[in-house]
Amino acid sequence: MLKRHLLKAAVGAALLVTTAFSAHAADDALARIKAAGVMKVGTETAFAPFDFIDAGTHSGLNVDFFAELGKDLGVKIEWVELPWDGVFPALEAGKFDFVAGPATITKARLERFKMTAPIAEATVAILKKAGDTLITKPEDIAGKAVGAGKATAQLAQLQEYSATLPTKVTAREYVSFNDAYADLAAGRIVAVANSLPNIAFVAKQRAGVFEVVTPAFGKKSYFGFIGKKDADSASLVEYVNSEVIKMKKDGRLAKLQEKWFGTTFDTPDEVKEPAF
Amino acid sequence: MMFNPQVIIEKLPELGSGLFVTLLLWIAGIAGGVVIGFLVATARRFGGFATNAVLGSVVEVLRGTPFLIQIFLLYYGGPFVGLMLDPIPCGLIGLTVYSAAYYSEIFRAGFAAVPVGHVEAAGCLGMTRLQTIRRIQIPEMALIVLPPAVNLSVILLKESAVLSIITVPELTATVSAIGSQQYAYLEAIFILAVVYWALVELTDRLGRAAEYRLSRLRFSKA
Amino acid sequence: MTFKLFTLLLQAAVSTIGISLVSIAIGFVIAILLSAATLSGKTIYSAPARLFVSFFRGVPLLVQLLLIYTLLPAIGLNVPSIVAAIIGLSLCTAAYQAENLRGGFSSVPKGLIEAAEVTGFNPLQIFARIQVPIALRLTLPTLVNESIMILKASSLVSVVGIIELTKMAQDLASSTYQPIPIFLSAGLVYFVICSTIALLGRYAERSMARTSA
Repeated sequence: MLKRHLLKAAVGAALLVTTAFSAHAADDALARIKAAGVMKVGTETAFAPFDFIDAGTHSGLNVDFFAELGKDLGVKIEWVELPWDGVFPALEAGKFDFVAGPATITKARLERFKMTAPIAEATVAILKKAGDTLITKPEDIAGKAVGAGKATAQLAQLQEYSATLPTKVTAREYVSFNDAYADLAAGRIVAVANSLPNIAFVAKQRAGVFEVVTPAFGKKSYFGFIGKKDADSASLVEYVNSEVIKMKKDGRLAKLQEKWFGTTFDTPDEVKEPAF
Repeated sequence: MMFNPQVIIEKLPELGSGLFVTLLLWIAGIAGGVVIGFLVATARRFGGFATNAVLGSVVEVLRGTPFLIQIFLLYYGGPFVGLMLDPIPCGLIGLTVYSAAYYSEIFRAGFAAVPVGHVEAAGCLGMTRLQTIRRIQIPEMALIVLPPAVNLSVILLKESAVLSIITVPELTATVSAIGSQQYAYLEAIFILAVVYWALVELTDRLGRAAEYRLSRLRFSKA
Repeated sequence: MTFKLFTLLLQAAVSTIGISLVSIAIGFVIAILLSAATLSGKTIYSAPARLFVSFFRGVPLLVQLLLIYTLLPAIGLNVPSIVAAIIGLSLCTAAYQAENLRGGFSSVPKGLIEAAEVTGFNPLQIFARIQVPIALRLTLPTLVNESIMILKASSLVSVVGIIELTKMAQDLASSTYQPIPIFLSAGLVYFVICSTIALLGRYAERSMARTSA
């Protein structure tokens, strides 16, 4: 395992040097990916069913989607797994070409990054402990401790929603949503605020432990993949975006949604004006 | 990329509260660790073979596993056995227990370094065991124990950053959260580095000053 | 806790051991250079060495790793995760090992160095053949302790994208919902590795004492 890592490191170092020299030959990020035969994708692996570790194996919608994309583009996909709050800094530092995530398409993010067409709905709702009669609607979390992932749009929406309640919630920030679910099961928090596809999956996996509270409290929003905004990444972002649209049209995306969520989403081809 | 630490420094109240939690956990952790560590070292020295063996194994396990694993076990495993601690108490207990193991080893080495002759002489003079510990062994140990104890305190300050992982709102958690909100990642890491570095330098200096005063005190009495 | 899960932990432990050993070795080489610089008596060498030691002793490893992973690219050095992890651990342990070695070097008897000078050793020979071996023997126990510290500290390198024992335990704990058996097993694996290092250290100390007698 280490040998492979070291080899990778050596190859990486060599690539670093060669890419520095060949920057003029291959003119942008997409061309370099094609030339190298490898696309590096950064992600966080505690975001089931998009991205998670299933008994030691990296799986989820992201893995399937990028495997398809890799086939279409003729490159290998190499994953870089980081804590979520480290993913965007690493993208900006050039550690990988694209971010899977996925991330909620928000105004703030569109200012800083390019995002692809939606791959699923991201509207935020609440997950509670099964049978908790004190929480039957979203506003019941007022004044209580609620968890969400660090540096996530779901956390931002929880805080925004909290400000509209008679008493604010105590927002606990977890390194990953998995930690928040664990703390909900333990009872340190009364709810976890996360996007519907995620908590619906968790509630189904652990029926009898967790339950989704409807309706969603967040504004309608969507998940997309994320690339850099600079000119160098423009054609790459355009390519990944076109793949999303293509898979949507040929039914592959719906199949993936059916596989991972047990349902399909009606998503627009572009989010011009995010709800927040 | 623009480098602008200002956007983080502007959030002074949040920064201050993070620093406060870090200092609180650190100082309380050291205080608890020193007291428990001393009791453990004393019990191991004077409590007989069985006590020594049992406490010795506990100390070895605590020193032979990462702090992060201990904290995960306490925080996420605790509720399964009815031990539900909030992040800050959990962090405090974890840090105290971890540091106690290391402090106990420092005190044990300290006890061992006090010449047997001094202890025997105290006995001949009619001092009780407690008197001997308090009036002979502790003062003689102090000078030996101080440098490694200061070094350990520095390590503990840095270990406390790990508590950000179990949602303790300490310095690292607070500053990195501000960094993410403001898209000022590098600035956040930079500020963290500077603050911790300053705290460590300050601690080292205080430690050296204490060492100097202690050695003068001892020689002036002698 | 099934056999399969335990195997996954053991696989991840191989990464933990590999990264730690490589870092300790690189850190040791840097530490020798640092302590030579500190002991050179020339400010131009000793001041940067002191600053290095002070910085890497003063900043938490978690922050150091993030600094190396995200700051280095800003100055044009984009290193992959594994390299960032090894650089972080190496520099951190170099600072501590340098402090230990400095103590060891200052305990090398002056008479030995003078004797070597009289015998016609040049300064480099004295350093490599007299000072380093003696300092190494004097500081071997602290080197063993430091190796254990680094092995434990490697539990943090997942923040730069490395999957090692602790990260694997975290992943398994959240996919199986059984934190106690998983973290206990991971703890056990760490404990076995650390105890082995301690045992090897004692063995090395004994055999060194024998060869010098």
